[in-house]
Amino acid sequence: MAIRVNPTFIDELDRFGAEDVQLCYQCGDCSTVCPHADDVYKFPRKSMRSLQMGLEQKIETTLEPWLCYYCGQCSTQCPREADPGETMMSLRRWLISRYDFTGIARKFFKSRLTEVLAIVIVALFTGAFLVYYGLSGGSIDIYDGEGAFLPSQFIHRFDLSIGSILLIFLLANAIHMWYLVMVKGTNFFVPWWLYIKEFFQLPWHFFTQKRYSECEKKQEHPVFMPWIIHLGLMLGYVTMLVLVMVFIEQLQSGPDIRWSVHIFGYLATIGLVTGTLYFIRSRLKKSYVQYKKSHGTDWVFVVLLFIIVLTGILQHIFHRTGLNELANITYVVHLMGVVPWLLRMPFSKWSHLIYRPLAMYFAEIRREALTRQEEIIQSVPVLIK
Amino acid sequence: MRTGVFFCHTDESRNLNIDAIAKYSANLPEVETVQILRLKPLPQVKFISEQIKSNNLERIVLAGDMPGYFKPVFTKAVALTGGNTDEIRLASFQEHGAKGENAMDRAKAIVACATMGIPFPLAAVPGGNPVNHATLIIGAGIAGIQAALEIANAGKQVYLVEQSGTIGGHMAMFDKTFPTLDCAACILTPKMVSVGQHEMIRLLTRSKLVAVSGKPGAYRVKVRQKARFVDVKSCVACNICAEVCPVKVKSEFDAGISLRKAIYIPFPQAVPNAYLVDETKCTYILSEGQKCGVCMKKCPKECINLNETDKIIDIEVGNIILATGYELLDVSKIEQYGYGIFPNVLTSLEFERITNASGTTGGRIVTKTLVTNKKTGKEEWIFSPEGIPPGSVAIIHCVGSRNKKYNPYCSRVCCMYSLKFAHLIKEKVPNVNVYEFYIDMRAFGKGYEEFAERIKQEGTFVVRGHSASVAMKDEHMVVRGEDIFNDRLVEFNVDMVVLAVGLVPSQGTEEISRMLGVQRDSDGWFSELDYNGSPTDTDKGGIYVAGMCQAPKDIPDTVAQASAVAAGVLGSFTSGKGIGHMSSLSLSEIESRAKKIHAF
Repeated sequence: MAIRVNPTFIDELDRFGAEDVQLCYQCGDCSTVCPHADDVYKFPRKSMRSLQMGLEQKIETTLEPWLCYYCGQCSTQCPREADPGETMMSLRRWLISRYDFTGIARKFFKSRLTEVLAIVIVALFTGAFLVYYGLSGGSIDIYDGEGAFLPSQFIHRFDLSIGSILLIFLLANAIHMWYLVMVKGTNFFVPWWLYIKEFFQLPWHFFTQKRYSECEKKQEHPVFMPWIIHLGLMLGYVTMLVLVMVFIEQLQSGPDIRWSVHIFGYLATIGLVTGTLYFIRSRLKKSYVQYKKSHGTDWVFVVLLFIIVLTGILQHIFHRTGLNELANITYVVHLMGVVPWLLRMPFSKWSHLIYRPLAMYFAEIRREALTRQEEIIQSVPVLIK
Repeated sequence: MRTGVFFCHTDESRNLNIDAIAKYSANLPEVETVQILRLKPLPQVKFISEQIKSNNLERIVLAGDMPGYFKPVFTKAVALTGGNTDEIRLASFQEHGAKGENAMDRAKAIVACATMGIPFPLAAVPGGNPVNHATLIIGAGIAGIQAALEIANAGKQVYLVEQSGTIGGHMAMFDKTFPTLDCAACILTPKMVSVGQHEMIRLLTRSKLVAVSGKPGAYRVKVRQKARFVDVKSCVACNICAEVCPVKVKSEFDAGISLRKAIYIPFPQAVPNAYLVDETKCTYILSEGQKCGVCMKKCPKECINLNETDKIIDIEVGNIILATGYELLDVSKIEQYGYGIFPNVLTSLEFERITNASGTTGGRIVTKTLVTNKKTGKEEWIFSPEGIPPGSVAIIHCVGSRNKKYNPYCSRVCCMYSLKFAHLIKEKVPNVNVYEFYIDMRAFGKGYEEFAERIKQEGTFVVRGHSASVAMKDEHMVVRGEDIFNDRLVEFNVDMVVLAVGLVPSQGTEEISRMLGVQRDSDGWFSELDYNGSPTDTDKGGIYVAGMCQAPKDIPDTVAQASAVAAGVLGSFTSGKGIGHMSSLSLSEIESRAKKIHAF
């Protein structure tokens, strides 16, 4: 297959954060120290090389960026200070924008202003709609039940509709990713049953993020620090998402506590608060290699999430202490954060929640298919004459 | 001629006080107006032409880093007012080298010459001083030796100053030279002997420069010669003193892999061929005559005097040649290679010493063996001739070179000596696997590329890809790397790792540069006057550079440069004039010369 070279590709990647790719002189130190590079997936050097050559069509079909968890060893080691770790990060950003067929993600990654403006506009719309709805049907003094400002049944329907929009976009993007990686980028035969055989990879990597923990061996971090925090944040997030999407009616209901729901809520909150605070602090302190350069979208990600978590907690406190009026107001503010956050999901860094496990899944399938292929080739006798 | 001086943009790193220069130029004769144009990128033609008209200017001086850039604007302006465009004079600070210590005076002189309409180099050619026919050479490696022999063979006096106890430098440590695989000692030692015997060369070993004064053609140099404690003339190198000496120290000549005594001879072919005492280790000297002193009693020639003191020697010379050489980068600070942690990770010089037939293993390439030190009871890894030869060796290029954290430059010799190592290992150890990890193969010289091809033919695994990790796995050293040409990650079990360590200027370089006022480049090597035109001169007149101290280079280039330096020095004798460099002239000197030319 002929590959068209895009000579300006490297300049475009500049906007996504990869500034020093041209410095690379292909020594391979980065691939040597990378704990994840193996014989099938060799990176970051190969990715750097493809970038320098402008092989846009090749990079869009690769999985390597998703296999990197940015421990930063390559960047520390790099003799040219070409920052391969940050390049892999930028490639992930670029891939997110590539998988997204609407082109919104691309705009967000390229201009922080567009992103912030979009968030503010959606937030204002949401706020206006909710206040209008609340005033038309209920009283601001009532939090739940009959005549409530924002009754839980309404919020449930509201959540589900937002969630389905999100799901449609995410699914479409995931299918696009599958097409790019497994159809366009795979020039060997992949048996269908491998998809079933390797299916366990999806939940396994989703819930453990095992590969991330392998990053830490030689790092100066406290034991498993970014991994455990990241895992906590992700699990907290997913738990909270399930609670809000499915159990919102129990969550919002009156003064008696259904512990089975609430205990999960508290656990999720702990994960979310520690996670967001840790990452904001790390990005401010720039203590480790991976936090030295923060792209605009990284900041929007952590800060917006932190605001949502904070208003959620406040709302809970007001509700529990019986300050219904305040609780309702914070509820509106909370939702003004949540709605743009959820709608932004498929177009932002957040979507790596889906892409990463998918990438591990695809990677294992491809690896298996490739070894089968090689075995077949080796077993066929070569006829010389 | 009514003159206007316009100051254009100057680089801030030049550290020039433009206001002060402007004030100075305002007091110059015939200067009507002085203006500092802070206009970027270009001044307006209209504005300039108005200035010319209102001041009635006949000559315009443009001063700045690169005033030529602004010249078209001024040409237009002058043409508009109907003046003579030939009278636009450029005073370029960059072109005439207004930088460094006397940058301000230099800049003033440049402006002054331009206002008088005199080309700066015309006024600033230094005058000739009568030349003393003696030459001082600092450093007696191959560069110093070659230059000394060339000059001395022409019948002129040479003072050869060497810091250590013997001449020869690093080349004496080598086994073979690339790409011809000649024996290094066979080339060097005859030269060393003739230096030692030459009637026109005065050899000052264990000596250091203390002070320098004077000007090109007539330098007065103070040299401190440390006491050798052994009389060079009567010592016959019988080795009895070293046998009885109780102190053991790591040998500098063996790159620290073997031990010597406190009284020692660096190597058997040393010149001068006499023992010397390491005053920092000798028990007698450290205890101020209280203890030991056995060697003095045992010496059959009674030539040891441990109470000898240092001497200060005053020398008058016409020219000085710097040949101070290099040393290896401290590789223990590059942690990923495990130097100093794993016993069989060696630097290139250490390997050079074990493969050398005069080295501690007698030329056998072996791994270190674990030996219990009888004195301390500790276990130590040492080289012994009975060691086990390695089954596989990894050679890693570019260790600390071409690396922004250590040396940004290429050390130029590592690729070739690494290939030479591969050949020597293949030659001496049967059934050995040699892996070369390289980034780019810099085989640039005559016969070098062919040599590289030959090494590949010999069966060395040449891996295009640098290795960044040496680790221990199941009691085996493992070298990881990426084989880029074959597109795979490789992991080799090896018994020995040789690091092709980058080169840095030798320790005393900074001190000497300060003493002589010779500039150094950002990497610490001595700056030559002009990279292409005069690669052996420095910006100080009568001071030359030869060999590694200017920049990393191999033996043929070093020898060639040393001979070239000798030609320059001998040329100054026949002309009878020591040519100083422009920077040796003061502002008032240049001014008065310019005035003379102007009046003429």
